[in-house]
Amino acid sequence: MSMRTINRTDFISGIVVAVMGAAGLVGSLRMPRFEARGADPFTVPGLTPGLLSAVLCVLGVVLLLRGMSGRVLAEGARPSITEWTRASAARTIFTIVMVLLYGTLLFGHMPFILATALFIFVFTVGAELIDTERSLPIWKLVIGGLVLAGVAAFAIDFVFTDLFLVRLPG
Amino acid sequence: MTLRLYATGRFPLPASWPRCPLLSTSMAMDGLTHFLSAIAEIGFSAQIIVVFWATLLGITVGMIPGLTATLGVALVTTLTFAMEQNTAILVLICVYIGAIYGGGRTAILLNIPGTPANAASALEGFPLARKGRAGEAMAVATTGSFLGSVVGMVGLALVAPWLAEFALDFTSFEFFWLAVFGIVLCGQLTAMDDALKGWIAGFFGLLVAMVGQESIHAYARFSYGIRDLEGGFGLLPVLVGAFGCTEVFIVMRQEATRAVAGKVTGVFRSALSSFGHARTWLRSGFIGTFMGVVPGVGEDMGAWVSYAAAKRASKRKEEYGQGSTEGLLAAETGNNAAVPGALIPVLTLAIPGSAPAAVLLAAMIIHGLRPGPLIMITQADFFYSVVAMVFWASCAMLLLGLLLTRPLLLILRVRREWLMGIIFVLCTVGAFAIAGRIFDVWVMIGFGLIGFMMREAGFPVAPMILGVVLGPILDNNLRRSLALTQGDPLPFVTRPISAVIASLVFLIIIFSLPPVRRRVAAFRARFARGGAQ
Repeated sequence: MSMRTINRTDFISGIVVAVMGAAGLVGSLRMPRFEARGADPFTVPGLTPGLLSAVLCVLGVVLLLRGMSGRVLAEGARPSITEWTRASAARTIFTIVMVLLYGTLLFGHMPFILATALFIFVFTVGAELIDTERSLPIWKLVIGGLVLAGVAAFAIDFVFTDLFLVRLPG
Repeated sequence: MTLRLYATGRFPLPASWPRCPLLSTSMAMDGLTHFLSAIAEIGFSAQIIVVFWATLLGITVGMIPGLTATLGVALVTTLTFAMEQNTAILVLICVYIGAIYGGGRTAILLNIPGTPANAASALEGFPLARKGRAGEAMAVATTGSFLGSVVGMVGLALVAPWLAEFALDFTSFEFFWLAVFGIVLCGQLTAMDDALKGWIAGFFGLLVAMVGQESIHAYARFSYGIRDLEGGFGLLPVLVGAFGCTEVFIVMRQEATRAVAGKVTGVFRSALSSFGHARTWLRSGFIGTFMGVVPGVGEDMGAWVSYAAAKRASKRKEEYGQGSTEGLLAAETGNNAAVPGALIPVLTLAIPGSAPAAVLLAAMIIHGLRPGPLIMITQADFFYSVVAMVFWASCAMLLLGLLLTRPLLLILRVRREWLMGIIFVLCTVGAFAIAGRIFDVWVMIGFGLIGFMMREAGFPVAPMILGVVLGPILDNNLRRSLALTQGDPLPFVTRPISAVIASLVFLIIIFSLPPVRRRVAAFRARFARGGAQ
């Protein structure tokens, strides 16, 4: 069987799902059974996750085998994970990096308004700079980004903290 | 005939059979009285202002690509913590109905559905807009959404009390099968001809729900000594991640789209003429309501199945795909009818009919309500208040949709680069605000990335979310049942209701298998040829 006939998305997804199911099964079997406490064997914690993991493992193997057979899927179910352009890849990577930076480094580690304004400004200006169809000159973009970042950060803080009494970090 | 005998008591039905409330005049009158008083309570108080701003907020949320109804309801849930119980649920229902409707605008003018529920609307709405008939398309969508909500509301008022009474006979065996049924059916219907991926997503969601302390021995599963994991993954952070954060990635990955320009005319004339297509909106309303009732399936399938049924029944099939107002009416009626439909299992079984309904269920529990089979006994007033909330939200949607057609279009001119950063901040704050834990923000981002990878690889996200909701139900009821029978699995298939649900599960699986599907398709083609000759 040549590599060309393999549906790579299904093949790799099948491996991931089957491994996840197998790992879940091993984890479930290792869970305590509380025999010393006289627990009912049908209420042990590992029972349901074990069954679910086994089903997931079987479904993963079926997907893997289907991927290996290279069967073409219906048009509506065609995955898009292999269809990238340089621009879409750049935008996606930029978004993921920004989101991770805000969620792990900024949010909760510095005052909310400052962290949020900084994130919105960098995200907006960065995304516009990546966009090849950008029509705004840079100075307008920077001023617009600063205004948006400031207004949005203060507005979100006001709405959540003062109007709806939600405690925000920082 | 049978119904008449049944109503007069001459038909000897077993005592345990469900009694339809429609056939009991006093019950129907009681229900009507409760409903009318709930209508008056909202209509003649300050709550009517809440109805209008919350519906407008929902429409705005639905119109913005990247903000789905699920995310809208999840974010607004965090804003309702300080509100009184009924007002909070009113706000959430208005946002839910408004968002499902609002997504139609984006589908018509941008050819990208504002929410996944409006994908079918884009097929007919966008060609209409390109022909310069955007005003007409938006009017048809508005009327269709209103009529769909009203048909769904009637379904909610009639079916929910009956289902709640019926569900009183459910035991752990039936609830176990109901959870399996929801995953299997949702996986099959939402996966676009690839049931295997839908089931994988569903079982993955069930496994995700196993993380954290279980209810019988208080053992923390899959937590590996990490304290935050011992409490499991919160439903709202997972939902906000899978539907909000994922959307941010998807919108930024896609190419930018620009709204169709042109004059907006003929709004009121087209809105009135839509009422005349009674057969289309009634059919779509029934289908949408039914699809809403099916666990986890919801508005998307309500729209698609209604659209397909309208196309099959249409005398002008050639117009479909080129800008058919009938097709648009069917799709928009179907998705909005699914909203009250999705509330039926939420209120009577505590099982969500759709992803936004899952958030609504969580919000109800946060606000101290206890949806489930006992709702008609313990909280009948609340049930009829929900029906009245759907009524007022539908009216507000109709009025705002028709009167604010032009001003609402301004929302679509905002560039995604200026919106997505703010949407992600809202996701972060929404995930954090539930419990004040930074861990929930990481969960949200993690499920955002998982949801993005899943969608890119062709896996639907809805079954995963349903799995997270149904996981504890499946786990508790499976172990409880096996403990009761000392490991004997027979009652799972010998109890009457269990046997019916189990048979349905197996039928769905068998009819999803490719060889069976090919044979059925060949048989249908042969049958159609025979009919044509």
